[in-house]
Amino acid sequence: MEKVIEMQNLTKLFKNGRGISDLTLDIYQGEIFGFLGPNGAGKTTAMKIMTGLMRPDRGDVKLFGYSIQEEYEKAMANVGCIIEIPEAYPYLTAYENLKQLARFYSEVDNKRIDEVLELTGMLRYKNEKPKRFSLGMKQRLGIAAAILSRPKLLILDEPLNGLDVEGMIQIRKLILNLAEQEQTTFFISSHLIHDVELTCNKIGVIYNGMLLNVQTTEDILKNYATLENYFVSEVERNGRVPSSINQRA
Amino acid sequence: MAVFQAALINELEKLRKKKKAVVAIVLSLLMTVIGQLLVLGVRMGFGIRGAGSTDFSMLVLSFAVNTLLPLFAVLVAIDSFSGEFNQNTMRTTLTRPISRFKIYAAKVTAIGIFILVNLAFLSILSLVFGLVFSGDTMSFKGVLQVILAYGVSFFPIFILALGVVLLANVLKSGTSVFFVAILSFIIFKGLGVLFSQYSGILLTSYFDWYNLWLASSMPWVKILREFLLMLGYGLIFFTGAYYLFDKKEF
Repeated sequence: MEKVIEMQNLTKLFKNGRGISDLTLDIYQGEIFGFLGPNGAGKTTAMKIMTGLMRPDRGDVKLFGYSIQEEYEKAMANVGCIIEIPEAYPYLTAYENLKQLARFYSEVDNKRIDEVLELTGMLRYKNEKPKRFSLGMKQRLGIAAAILSRPKLLILDEPLNGLDVEGMIQIRKLILNLAEQEQTTFFISSHLIHDVELTCNKIGVIYNGMLLNVQTTEDILKNYATLENYFVSEVERNGRVPSSINQRA
Repeated sequence: MAVFQAALINELEKLRKKKKAVVAIVLSLLMTVIGQLLVLGVRMGFGIRGAGSTDFSMLVLSFAVNTLLPLFAVLVAIDSFSGEFNQNTMRTTLTRPISRFKIYAAKVTAIGIFILVNLAFLSILSLVFGLVFSGDTMSFKGVLQVILAYGVSFFPIFILALGVVLLANVLKSGTSVFFVAILSFIIFKGLGVLFSQYSGILLTSYFDWYNLWLASSMPWVKILREFLLMLGYGLIFFTGAYYLFDKKEF
């Protein structure tokens, strides 16, 4: 199977001592990778480096074999992403926002814009400006933007953030469909551990900037009742358990 | 090249949809109307000709080149960079298959086009007003001189905008960039008056360099010197701002 993401000794340390250290990871085509970790563990930092928004102190990331630092355009040609809260231009309509992005891809036409708006349940807000959108609607528009070019890799940082239950189910289905029908690879970070369990087929736990373990969801669930139990156990073995997780476990 | 074109079209679309572009057009119109009313008032009240035909265009330019044009160039440059940094909308563009240099170049080109359109609009407007109210004195040579004066005024305003782009990549907030830009503009203008012997090295003293192009015998050496100095400023600002933009983390 084709290697889609290659992370080699990825290191980025901030002045406050947080960051990521020596992250090495390979993700293959068709995998739905769940990136778990407590707040401040380094998930977003890793994803920002993967998408070129940050530069690593050391190491490199290759997407489809192209270095994100040296061949950015080629590396990102088949990538869609959401990093933190997806922001849209408030003075452009939802359609115009997507049209802006569509211009970067020769194969994306107006029909495809309508299609992704439909897929994310945003078609009826097509001509509205995002300044009046709720967080969930902004998130849906962000997902529409991410899948617009039919990317082979989707890097999604908290994709279910702000969505209602119906929205969560809809996006979860969308992810599973894309992985199954188009062999799209996913790299997803989420705090909603139950959703990760239902969606992802491979899990990586990051703690204090270090990758603790990478296993398939199937293997994890052979030894643990839930993914939450596994996560708590992994984090506990390495020091601290976030209080909210402690209470639930 | 295709992605650069896409980025440029996007930047121009954003400029068109923002209210600042409309405000710039409305203010240009207002300024020309008020200017023409003043000229008419002087003519009718005191019997003085004031400014006729193409002179009116020059009068408008001499005022706009030190006020309205740099102000809007500054605002658009701030919006294009600081505005998008602060709203986090820059991420959306940066994570597309386009290099940072192409995004940067597209933004700078769009700012340049905005300045050109603003100058063209103002020149046409002032010429039309001049033609309507003092058309009897308008000559073809005069019209050519107006076009030349407005055309060469692009350079100093564009260089100023590049300076603001550099500031926008140094300072975090757009408001700080605006105040530092305005303050620097005023200080440099003041320094140009106080130390006139050194004004040649200050960018703000080039805003009226269009006068050099209107002289009966063209001072080529002076024009070339001022052009090269502006080019130097432009290269420093462009390169410095790109270096910072390329290193910026989002």
